[in-house]
Amino acid sequence: MRLSTRIAALCVGWLFSHPAVAADLPQRWVSAGGALSEWVSALGGEAKLVGVDTTSQHPQSLKALPSIGYQRSLSAEGILSLRPDILIGTEEMGPPPVLAQVKAARVRVELFSAQADLPTLAQNLIHLGQLLGAEAQAKQLLQTYQQQLDAQQARVAQAQTAQKAPGVLLLLGHAGGKPLIAGKDTAADWLLQQAGGRNLATHSGYKPFSVESLASLDPEVLVFADRALSGEAAKTALFKENPILNSSRAAKAGRVMQLDPTLLVGGLGPRLPAALKTLTDGFYPAKGGQ
Amino acid sequence: MTPLVKPRGLFIGLTLLCLLATWLSLALGPVSLPLFDTLRAALRLLGVPLAPYGLEQAELILGQIRLPRTLLGLAVGGVLALSGVAMQGLFRNPLADPGLVGVSSGAALGAAIAIVGGAVFGDVPEGFAPYLLSVCAFLGGLGVTALVYRLGRRNGQTHVATMLLAGIALTALAGSAVGLFTYLADDATLRTLTFWNLGSLNGASYARLWPLLIISAGVALWLPRRAKALNALLLGESEAGHLGIDVERLKRELVFCTALGVGAAVAAAGMIGFVGLVVPHLVRLLAGPDHRVLLPASVLAGGSLLLLADLVARLALAPAELPIGIVTAFIGAPFFLYLLLRGRA
Repeated sequence: MRLSTRIAALCVGWLFSHPAVAADLPQRWVSAGGALSEWVSALGGEAKLVGVDTTSQHPQSLKALPSIGYQRSLSAEGILSLRPDILIGTEEMGPPPVLAQVKAARVRVELFSAQADLPTLAQNLIHLGQLLGAEAQAKQLLQTYQQQLDAQQARVAQAQTAQKAPGVLLLLGHAGGKPLIAGKDTAADWLLQQAGGRNLATHSGYKPFSVESLASLDPEVLVFADRALSGEAAKTALFKENPILNSSRAAKAGRVMQLDPTLLVGGLGPRLPAALKTLTDGFYPAKGGQ
Repeated sequence: MTPLVKPRGLFIGLTLLCLLATWLSLALGPVSLPLFDTLRAALRLLGVPLAPYGLEQAELILGQIRLPRTLLGLAVGGVLALSGVAMQGLFRNPLADPGLVGVSSGAALGAAIAIVGGAVFGDVPEGFAPYLLSVCAFLGGLGVTALVYRLGRRNGQTHVATMLLAGIALTALAGSAVGLFTYLADDATLRTLTFWNLGSLNGASYARLWPLLIISAGVALWLPRRAKALNALLLGESEAGHLGIDVERLKRELVFCTALGVGAAVAAAGMIGFVGLVVPHLVRLLAGPDHRVLLPASVLAGGSLLLLADLVARLALAPAELPIGIVTAFIGAPFFLYLLLRGRA
């Protein structure tokens, strides 16, 4: 080995042995996952994002970035045209040949798990923190998140001493029409449980439901997430398209709640604790001026 | 009807169009490469020994992304158009398209089984997993087509009308099976299935490309040899028989070639509509119904059309991408309506 080569090798070794220096960190980010984009923004990395997929809807400012399309049908050249240093996404990102092409172009591809539980989130956040050079911030965020979820559990436990867990159905619809009901093994089911609700649906996945069985389950609280409309318009549309819902206990008691459908995609996101609190408050209404 | 263009002129024109489409498909994309770099990288890919200086990105994008995609587009477009001619000749019906003998719906069924079944049963051997979908789609297409063909046979004769109806019935049956799988699928698999059904040349890789290239080259070389027989078949089956054509064998060959070609195309790129239906009409309008011209010209026209449609698909929303099925149908459907209104169909 020639001396110059050795020196070069030494220098390279020395470079890599150092903890990540700011210059080594990826500067141009493309994110293909709603919750991941939110976390990158929460960690102060929004300015580094140069492109996001269609599931990245929060914070609103992300919508101004170039869209790389839906996370499952990415295009290699489209992504490369943004000259990214790194592409992040969940295991849902694909198709695989496209990821291989992106990797071949020496873009770092980092996969994160979209599983909805705390250990996964902790791992993801730490990893993101390292990549963004914001490890301290990541730890801080994680701690706050943990506290919020703990407080949430305490809140549910506290509420359940006084009231029974209400039977809930979560309807996922598009402009009110033909809602799908969230069953077991869905992010929605997990969400309802965390908020202290009892999911009345027993099937697995999101399935269309007959209006009759909907009426017979007679939920105490209805939660609906609409992909097209929001606010009062979504609620009106839901009841207009499915008049049978009007006769449910939930509708009569006015216990119909709305949920942002983007919360149901891509693992635990930063907006989750607040959404859970709102749900819990709706599930266990304060009785007569306590 | 007198052709608008002489065959010679048509072939020269289509070859130029095809070369132009190929070049555009290689030279344009969301990543803008300097024209000079593209040229040099293309020459290097062809084996011209040029200095690779500064060409890394151009070579990667050209060699690993655009070239396989272009070849895929040419092969898929060509073979779909060719099968369209074969089917319209076989059924002597200008409305016939390759889907009529059940190959598309069979492939869709195979794909649904692979996507949903793969998600449910899991545990496919690692090396085979990426190809499971393509293999299942190909086998599904072949299987359903074989069944349609069997159902059309009676007393050693293939009844084209029976085959057509059997094709419709089996397409409906396969459609309902796909519907069932759609219902059973969870959210993630459902989306994969939807996108597969829309078709795309995205993510083309050489490993998937070779089987298709070999099959479509075989079909493209074989079918034009049967051009005279197809011309005779235009007169009617018994007339063709009197002219010394082995009609039964011809029908078998046409169905087999279509099943192979379309099956392979669908397996590699998903469902791409309208190319098989519209391109033969387009060529017929230009050059008349002679299969000696129609067959080879359709290959060129089909390949060019698909490449141009793909160009729209990847440039329109860059850096995102439209499924190509949307673009071809968007161009194809109005054209087809125009044909209908002209009273030609």
